[in-house]
Amino acid sequence: MKNLRIGAILGALLMVAGACSSTPAAKEGGTLIVALPGDIVRTDTALTDDSNSSYVIQQVVETLVGLEPGSTSKVVPVLAESYEMSADALTYTFKLRSGVKFHDGTDFNADAVVYNYNRFINIPTELQDYTYYIGAVFGGYGANSNLESATAVDGTTVAIKLKKPSSNFILTQTLPVFGIQSPTALALGKGDNTESDVTKITGAQGGAGSMVGTGPFVFDKWTVGDSVEIVKNATYWDTAHIAHVDAIVFKAVAEEAQRLNGLAAGEIDLAQTIAPVDAATIAANPKLQLIDRGSSFNTFQISMNQSYTPMNNQKIREAIAYAINYDYLIKTFYAGAAVKATNWMPAGVLYAKDLSLPSYDVAKAKALIAESGETDLTIDFWYPNDVTRPYMPDPKGIFEAITADLEAVGFTIVPNNAPWRGGYLDDEYAGKYEMWLLGWTGDWAGPDNFLKTAFFGYVNGAPSTEFAYKNDAVEAAMNAALAAGTEAEAKTQWELAQDLIRADMPTVPVANSKPQAAASIDLKGFIGSAGLNEPLNLVWLDRP
Amino acid sequence: MGRYIVRRLIAAIPVLIGLSILLFAYIRILPGDPCVAILGQHRTPAACAALREHLGLDLPLWQQYISYLLKTLSGDLGSSVVNSQPFLGEFLTRFPGTIELTAGALIFSIGVGIPLGRLAARKVGGWVDGLITGVSLFGVSIPVFVLGLALVVIFGVILGWLPTQGRIDARARFDATSGILLIDTLFAGRLDLFVDVVRHLVLPSIALGSIPLAIIARITRASVIEVANEDYVRTARSKGLKEKTVDNRHVMRNAWLPVTTVVGLQIGGLLGGAVLTETVFVWNGVGRWVVDAIQNHDYPIVQSTILVFAVIFLIVNLIVDVGYALLNPKIRYQ
Repeated sequence: MKNLRIGAILGALLMVAGACSSTPAAKEGGTLIVALPGDIVRTDTALTDDSNSSYVIQQVVETLVGLEPGSTSKVVPVLAESYEMSADALTYTFKLRSGVKFHDGTDFNADAVVYNYNRFINIPTELQDYTYYIGAVFGGYGANSNLESATAVDGTTVAIKLKKPSSNFILTQTLPVFGIQSPTALALGKGDNTESDVTKITGAQGGAGSMVGTGPFVFDKWTVGDSVEIVKNATYWDTAHIAHVDAIVFKAVAEEAQRLNGLAAGEIDLAQTIAPVDAATIAANPKLQLIDRGSSFNTFQISMNQSYTPMNNQKIREAIAYAINYDYLIKTFYAGAAVKATNWMPAGVLYAKDLSLPSYDVAKAKALIAESGETDLTIDFWYPNDVTRPYMPDPKGIFEAITADLEAVGFTIVPNNAPWRGGYLDDEYAGKYEMWLLGWTGDWAGPDNFLKTAFFGYVNGAPSTEFAYKNDAVEAAMNAALAAGTEAEAKTQWELAQDLIRADMPTVPVANSKPQAAASIDLKGFIGSAGLNEPLNLVWLDRP
Repeated sequence: MGRYIVRRLIAAIPVLIGLSILLFAYIRILPGDPCVAILGQHRTPAACAALREHLGLDLPLWQQYISYLLKTLSGDLGSSVVNSQPFLGEFLTRFPGTIELTAGALIFSIGVGIPLGRLAARKVGGWVDGLITGVSLFGVSIPVFVLGLALVVIFGVILGWLPTQGRIDARARFDATSGILLIDTLFAGRLDLFVDVVRHLVLPSIALGSIPLAIIARITRASVIEVANEDYVRTARSKGLKEKTVDNRHVMRNAWLPVTTVVGLQIGGLLGGAVLTETVFVWNGVGRWVVDAIQNHDYPIVQSTILVFAVIFLIVNLIVDVGYALLNPKIRYQ
């Protein structure tokens, strides 16, 4: 085992060395086979909220602004050459690229952008089940949407007006769901808000009008449940980045073992996600390469609900944080592809700071328990028994290790488990668990997505049933940060919120994992990103 | 015979109604919530409530059942709650894959099972018989997914002889017409792809065909041994007929009957086995689809797939029974 681990490290070092050496000229042509953990759900970017759909759609449909390849938070222009925010932080004026055409040959212009944003505001009620991000980012639809209007100032200038300032606006507009699709295609595919039955929107079901964007690839076909095929856009507007491969086939390969076998047998060129336990095998195979995605984009934590005793005691929560052997967990269960959490959000998220969270210190944990005054140290502790998650590769193993750590400092753990979709998520959300394992993979790299959406934001004006964590000052700081008109103000408020949360220690962040990809050694030019914004037009196949 | 078939068909109706109730109840008793499956980490109580209403899951169970039954009878078998694709269209695009795999497995199990059974019967008691019986026992005992994974690793990953995933080389980006790729590639004049499809069929067919092969081999062996000991066979032999003639004319002709029945019954088992085989070999068929649907709590798809499989199973059984009656004039159904 130790040899394998050394092999994995050496393999990773060699890979980095290989990446640093001068790259030969890219080869053109070939079909790239990408294994995704599951199938896409729909072919209309606005009507999706899952990572598989986003991964495919981002190659075809472009947004006004995007993320720099490899980064989770650095915003770069895409269809907009530039943008400006008004002094009152309510109006964003985007200067668009000219001469860009959609895949159906129609013009990309200010009218097309306005058409798409008007669509976002007025999504029919029946379709709102499928448009999570639009609702989450703009706070609702119609009169409830924070989008006031989108207007064409001239042919290549669009003004998007908000009802109240939102400091996460630009970052959220990098999400693939806000991709700009051809209005002609949207009308053809009934994605123009005239049809409220999703089964009849052909543009969402892989039929006419599906995924007509401006990107480096053009949608070709979707074999539902099996694969999606996209082909090179030879007339892509960004001539420096026309795709190298002729086509990409995204195959849904649910089992991690099958992704590994497919890679080893040469039937898959790129496995978007692999199991941490397979990393050593991949590193040891000279025909394969392990791809590190740099920073992390998730947080794994020991979740706690403060409506239970002793979870309502800050000293107990802090004691638990000191009782955990973080290094052991990271070495054993993540094969090293994780870092100890220093915050409730990973380090790459905007304004995230190192909160000096407790490190492994048994004596300190015992002292805090003594100070807490609690005598009944029995805790009901839960884990999901039928899944692995990118942030939690072995829930049962991790659970057992944490249980041993907690019992070593004097807690009595009552072990419990439930199936992920068969009660676990429902029950933890409803506040039925005292302590449980859970994490969050980021949607966008803003602190609101972790601190507010995932963890501690109030629900309908009250602490969530999930954590029962009440601190009105935290809620106020988070809301003030979102409504901030300047970046400096947003930063101040987010830092305040982080400090307040740190003092309360409502849960115990454990690790930020770095889910790896794996590929054939022939695959070149791939830039991994923890947020999975990975443009495949940069990729080429070094094959005869 | 006509009346027999009609009676069998009428008898199938209560079976199907009972099955529909069982299926409906069973799937709803299972723990879990489609809301979690659909909305995942983005679920909120309000969004879940809206979704349940939208899917009709907020209605009383009996109302949900009646609505399901009426829709089913009118040919509307529902649509996926995950990607909204209608059941029937999706079933029909996947069924050819399952048929192709089932046929491959059947050809493998008959083509290898019957000669093995005959060989074992001829060498009864010898080491060849012992070996074949042992292999048969192994074939029946080993789970399909274990054998499948072993085949993938040995012949796909280590030796690199055969493909391990899918029905055709994904890089070929072939457009199927009928969905039966063996036919489609031939009609398209792509002999290279036809060979590729056959190569893709080999490992899954062996994995899926292993259990029927073992059963067919054992039944053939037993049947041949039984018939070979009959008086008329001894008489034929004592007449001085060649061993080959005795074997083909007198032994096998009578030994076929139980073998035929078993082969027919295996088809149902193969459909069930396809669920695991398709998952292991990333095969785009109904089996893998239903596994995904179960994992996603996609009620309509699971319900309708099992119902359609049950109908297919009933039809296959009926055909086998009728075939049995036709083959053996001694059997009379009243």
